[in-house]
Amino acid sequence: MNKANLSLILVVFAMTVSCQRIDRTKPPQTKDLPAFKLPSTFETTLPNGLRVVLVEDRRFPLVTLRLAFEGGSKYDPKDLPGLAQATASLLTEGTASRPSKQIAEELAEIGGALQAAAGPDGFTLQGNVLAENLPRLLDLLADVTLNASFPQDEVQLYKKRRTQELIAERSEAAFWADEKINAIVFGAHPYGRLNPTLESIARLDRERLIQFRDSRLVPNNAVLILLGALPPREETLKLIRARFEGWSKKDLPQPPAPEFPAPARQIVLIDRPGSVQADIRVGHIAVDRSHPDYFPLLVANTILGGGASSRMFMNIREKQGFAYDAHSRLQPRKTGGLFAAVTQVRNEVLEPAIKAVEDELQRLIREPVPAEELNDTKNYLSGNFVMGLETQNGLANQLATVKLMGLPDSYLETFTARVRAVTPAEIQAVAAKYFSPEAASLVVVGDASQIRATLEKFGKVTVEKAQ
Amino acid sequence: MLAATDFQIPFKKYTLKNGMRVILAPDNSVPVVTVYVIYGVGARSEEKGRTGFAHLFEHMMFQGSANAPKGQHFKLVESNGGNLNGSTHPDFTDYFNILPSNKLALGLWLESDRMRALNITEENLQNQKEAVKQERRLSFDNQPYATAVVDVWPQIAFQNWQNSHSLIGSFEDLEAATVDDVARFFKTYYAPNNAVLVISGDFQEREARRLIDAYFGDIPSQPQPQHPDLSEPAEVKPRTEVSKDPLAQVPAVIIGFPGPPRRSPDYYALAMLDVLLTGGDSSRFQQNLVKGKQSVIQYEANLGWPFAAFTDYKDPGHYAMFLLYNPAFKGSQVVQHAQEELEKIQKEGVDAKELNRVKTYFRASMIAQLQSSLARARRLGQYELLDGDPGYINREMESFLAVTAEQIQAVARKYLTPERRFILDIVPAPKTEKPKK
Repeated sequence: MNKANLSLILVVFAMTVSCQRIDRTKPPQTKDLPAFKLPSTFETTLPNGLRVVLVEDRRFPLVTLRLAFEGGSKYDPKDLPGLAQATASLLTEGTASRPSKQIAEELAEIGGALQAAAGPDGFTLQGNVLAENLPRLLDLLADVTLNASFPQDEVQLYKKRRTQELIAERSEAAFWADEKINAIVFGAHPYGRLNPTLESIARLDRERLIQFRDSRLVPNNAVLILLGALPPREETLKLIRARFEGWSKKDLPQPPAPEFPAPARQIVLIDRPGSVQADIRVGHIAVDRSHPDYFPLLVANTILGGGASSRMFMNIREKQGFAYDAHSRLQPRKTGGLFAAVTQVRNEVLEPAIKAVEDELQRLIREPVPAEELNDTKNYLSGNFVMGLETQNGLANQLATVKLMGLPDSYLETFTARVRAVTPAEIQAVAAKYFSPEAASLVVVGDASQIRATLEKFGKVTVEKAQ
Repeated sequence: MLAATDFQIPFKKYTLKNGMRVILAPDNSVPVVTVYVIYGVGARSEEKGRTGFAHLFEHMMFQGSANAPKGQHFKLVESNGGNLNGSTHPDFTDYFNILPSNKLALGLWLESDRMRALNITEENLQNQKEAVKQERRLSFDNQPYATAVVDVWPQIAFQNWQNSHSLIGSFEDLEAATVDDVARFFKTYYAPNNAVLVISGDFQEREARRLIDAYFGDIPSQPQPQHPDLSEPAEVKPRTEVSKDPLAQVPAVIIGFPGPPRRSPDYYALAMLDVLLTGGDSSRFQQNLVKGKQSVIQYEANLGWPFAAFTDYKDPGHYAMFLLYNPAFKGSQVVQHAQEELEKIQKEGVDAKELNRVKTYFRASMIAQLQSSLARARRLGQYELLDGDPGYINREMESFLAVTAEQIQAVARKYLTPERRFILDIVPAPKTEKPKK
């Protein structure tokens, strides 16, 4: 026995005397998590319809804000995918009284940031600032929202840069895979168009951007959320009223309401010569957060591919070693949603990998989820939900989602309870509805000369080019 | 502007008898706690013939330990609502567990069990070799720019093999790794006296100390590991190389300059200079290169780039930048444009208004970055490991805000000249060219 081991025994002996209660052979027993309440929110609506939400959070000398509009890329005209995104990018690039550079400099001066982004359903300005400079951030927020001027030179520059970015994005396999599975699942619905095209970027002009802004960025279509180390409530409301009261109400055009196509299996191979591996998506239409199937589907999707204990991860990565990444996604929209199983595998194992994904989908339809696995998954979802509230951005995003998607105010408070209530039978039922491999579509991006024959074993394959 | 001391992260530091350093940073506002362990070993500790080993070993840390068999770590953390991961860096390897705060003991049990008695088996090793190879295929070999950044750039920027070898490693070296290598690496580097444990978030100090003593107190220490010599030759020879990338559709160029010693006065000045050049939309690169000359499309830059940032690199590090550029320009023109921005500062300096703006922007973003318990744990643990003092988390802002315009001009002149500049131009390869297998 060498010296190191001897000292180990002495240390162990000393420790066992002082800490007899610790049993290292088993995971420690712990108490339940004490009940946790979300920070309280104050809500009001201005006469012009602008909803205001204030949340006190004094942990950091910062304020985070969201000004969220119902109005994302689903409102893009058919000939102009990318319009909402372009309007968002250019909103902070100049106003009637402030050139782009001045906006950027003022933001830096106050320790702030302000940018707009468009998703499928929402158009959101997000900002943050050192708390003592909140009034100046609100000045800038009001100015870009009401007075963005979309200067001609900034529009031209945006078009050039977006074109180059798009070309760069198109060099990645995931770009093609995601774009295609969206297009198949959502069909002619605007959700089916994930990205602008080179042609649509070329067609962008100032008038179309202004039109988009004028039609969607109106106060009765917006919610303003301020969260952080705020001034006293009346003072905060005064700051908001002074800047937004004069903003005029306006009627909103109806949102587009095309139907989603009935799910029908398609197999598409996108040829990307030189790919050393195959990027796989198995996708199906899903539901929005208000749908009765949503919580069972959320739990089912997490069991299938949400995290490193999920079935796809354990099977495809850990057991078979086919892939580094194997997961599934549930992306709820305001109406409907997308489910997709995702993995990237080396070409030689494409066939067993697709079979493994489909087996896992079938298993959720065929067999009830064991109680322990179900409980673990519910813990995972609840814990992740709380973790998301650590930062101001995390809480602001949750609140903005509730408001944008028109969810009930109780949505966040009841989230954990609704996850907990899901039963094995409900999971099997939603799996049969949304995970059926016979109805789900299969997209593979890879080198067709290497993998086409393999893919044809799964059915009729349509080959497209990645260009 | 707020004073630097207005925002403080409270913490306590102490050392166990076995040499393990412990940092406690309580914040009870959200019921979440992070258990973070950082080890003083990284890819730069690797030996010839074993490139990629530090990362392969990080994977082995998730293959089970004496009382928590394979798969249990993930399962127990996730099934209790937590989140976890590990990552390998040039100079350290770290592991985090974010948990609902009632599960603090679970995180400590799991981390102590694998620090004490990792399961090192042939089967696990083979399995993880495959996983790492697949990770390389996915995250590097199939991604534009990635092999140029990971495999080519270090060879241009560094002369010392410890710094210049591929940090993700070659397939050949990964294959050659043996169970004995793994066991030796574990014993040498994964000892408590080569580790820092940080707990941040919602916990009670007394209970945390009791649990830490019970779980970690009797893990035996090992002889302090020898760290390899990382020094670079004093003389810097400028280099320019071209790398062809069949997956890239848009060209990019990397420009780097050997940087100042970490925590020296020049370090603070160069970090502020970087913010001036590339921090936010009002930065010089954004206004003058992306907008003015329109030669640059996207950029990133940092002290310690590409594998670290000014907060977590260890000497020697470079001030380096990655510029995705407009194909209407040549790489040499883009380099010239970037160098002109540096020359402006060398010649004209910086005015007070711009410097103030840069400092406020920097201060706000540093505070914003520390909102999560994980972010605070990382910063504290990394500063302890790299600087020997987690107190920098509260003190460093004063040093950053004290940087003068003259110091910024001086570091631009001293460090950012063409005579000590490395360049790697990454150009899209012709479509007919097949990527290497």
